[in-house]
Amino acid sequence: MRDSGCFKVFTKPGLTTSTLLVAWNQDVGKVGTKVADYLNRKLGCQEFAEIEPLGFFPLSGVSVEDDIAQFPESKFYYSQEKALVVFKSDIPPSEWYRFLRSILDIAEHYCAVEELYIVGGMVSPGAHTTPRALLSVTNSPQIKEMLGQYGLVTNMHYETPDGQRPTLSSFLLWVAKKRGISGASLWVPVPFYLTGVEDPRAWKKVIQFFDTRLALGLDLTDLDDEIARQSAKIAQMRSKLPELDSYISRLESNLSLTAEESEKLAKEVEEFLKKTY
Amino acid sequence: MGMKLFKEPELNSPTLVACWPGIGNIGIIAVDTLRRMVGAEELGEIEPWEFFYPRKVLIESGELKDLVFPVNKFYFKKAEGKDLLFFLGEEQPTDRGGIYAEGTKAYRMANLVLEVALKFGCSKVYTSGAAVAPIHHTARSRVWAVPNSENLIEEIRSYENTVLMSDIEGRGGQGNITGLNGLLLGVARKRGVAAICLMGEIPIYLHGFPISYPKGSQSVLEVLGAALGITVDLHEINALVEQSEREIESVYARLPSEIREQLDRLKYVTHAKPAEPGPITEEDKKRILQEIDKLFKKEPGVE
Repeated sequence: MRDSGCFKVFTKPGLTTSTLLVAWNQDVGKVGTKVADYLNRKLGCQEFAEIEPLGFFPLSGVSVEDDIAQFPESKFYYSQEKALVVFKSDIPPSEWYRFLRSILDIAEHYCAVEELYIVGGMVSPGAHTTPRALLSVTNSPQIKEMLGQYGLVTNMHYETPDGQRPTLSSFLLWVAKKRGISGASLWVPVPFYLTGVEDPRAWKKVIQFFDTRLALGLDLTDLDDEIARQSAKIAQMRSKLPELDSYISRLESNLSLTAEESEKLAKEVEEFLKKTY
Repeated sequence: MGMKLFKEPELNSPTLVACWPGIGNIGIIAVDTLRRMVGAEELGEIEPWEFFYPRKVLIESGELKDLVFPVNKFYFKKAEGKDLLFFLGEEQPTDRGGIYAEGTKAYRMANLVLEVALKFGCSKVYTSGAAVAPIHHTARSRVWAVPNSENLIEEIRSYENTVLMSDIEGRGGQGNITGLNGLLLGVARKRGVAAICLMGEIPIYLHGFPISYPKGSQSVLEVLGAALGITVDLHEINALVEQSEREIESVYARLPSEIREQLDRLKYVTHAKPAEPGPITEEDKKRILQEIDKLFKKEPGVE
């Protein structure tokens, strides 16, 4: 085991080239985590390294979520066969640059990473039945051109509004650019009323892209089943609760809801889906 | 840790005037006004990414064009016998996300700033900040000065409108200077470099609000000018003071008359050492701050 102080490497993957996928646990609709978990499971990825929490996370105790004590994790997994490296992590509250540099140090040094993708969800005002686009922000014209060939949206304009800060994904993309690693952050819209639960349509959109791009040969029928199950539950809810049905119908017709209506819809959908899972 | 110098001028024992933002932006307005007034040129900058989270991302047509970080720049001015170095930081680096510098990053930055200054032969450092005081906004702000060695006290005593901590009622020469404007004094002391922090007074009832207080900066600027032997043109800062007074007066006029009357009592604070408790009690202070807070919340345009 190699220990460089802030990270531990348990096994050297011995990859001569690879693609790195980064997912943050604190993500809209947990899209990144779900995608990372799905690929790790389906491809049988092995854990091979981790960044130590000391120095990046406060470690002043543990938080409790859904009855379970949580602890920050920043772990690397790899699939030798598919030349894929997956990094799944909590977002550190400080020392961001050192943390991002550590990710790329491991990825470059032990896995010869040549391409980077950071996966995330973005809150959407649309309905869950609206077809999903996959939006990208790239750090080089070459990768932008390549992603365009996969049907991704590659023409986004954005400037951080006053009072807000960029995402850690943008920071990582920028650090990667400084090191000459091509990369993109991928953003899939998640309907606002599904951000507190799950949105398998969003995961599928991202996973489909990786399946094609990296020739993973995945069988996605389990995802289709998941989507069908959720659709059936929401349809059941719509038939039982006509008011919520009318809200979703309006969203499907590109009409907006008031703040109170949106809040009610999100609350009731979340309660309904959690109850029936 | 990166430092980028654009030029390597030959400087003759320059004085460093350094500042980071703080309460009422008092120090940063004073130092930046002086920097522009003397026409200081850019010298270099600290690479910010190890210290700060980015402020802004610019994405054009799907491509990440830039990340904007807080700027931390050095400037210099060659002048007969009194070369100057300036350092202005847009944000204070923190380890735990507060407004004021603290922890490892702050210490590293203070050392880095001093190292650059010493590389150019710096012999003295001035920093600047704010002193929260029980004064009225119509009063002239005094400057509280804190040196990092005893032999600077005589110099401070020679400045007009300036007090030491021991001159201030109830302090007994004690106090704290929060953030890098204070930390740099300590780091300079550790390295045997003379340093003084000049803090312009801001009324106690304004310090917690998101407004600049150029009146405090004006007093600091006057003292800095005297300390550095520079004739200071006050036109620009006077205009800022007038504008700020108009804004403060408009908020003041809308305060409940009871609160205004209490604040008016601060007009009679003479800075003499009173034997009785101060003109406003802690309870009064709490109520006053709540009332002013309400007004600022109603008026998002006031900055």
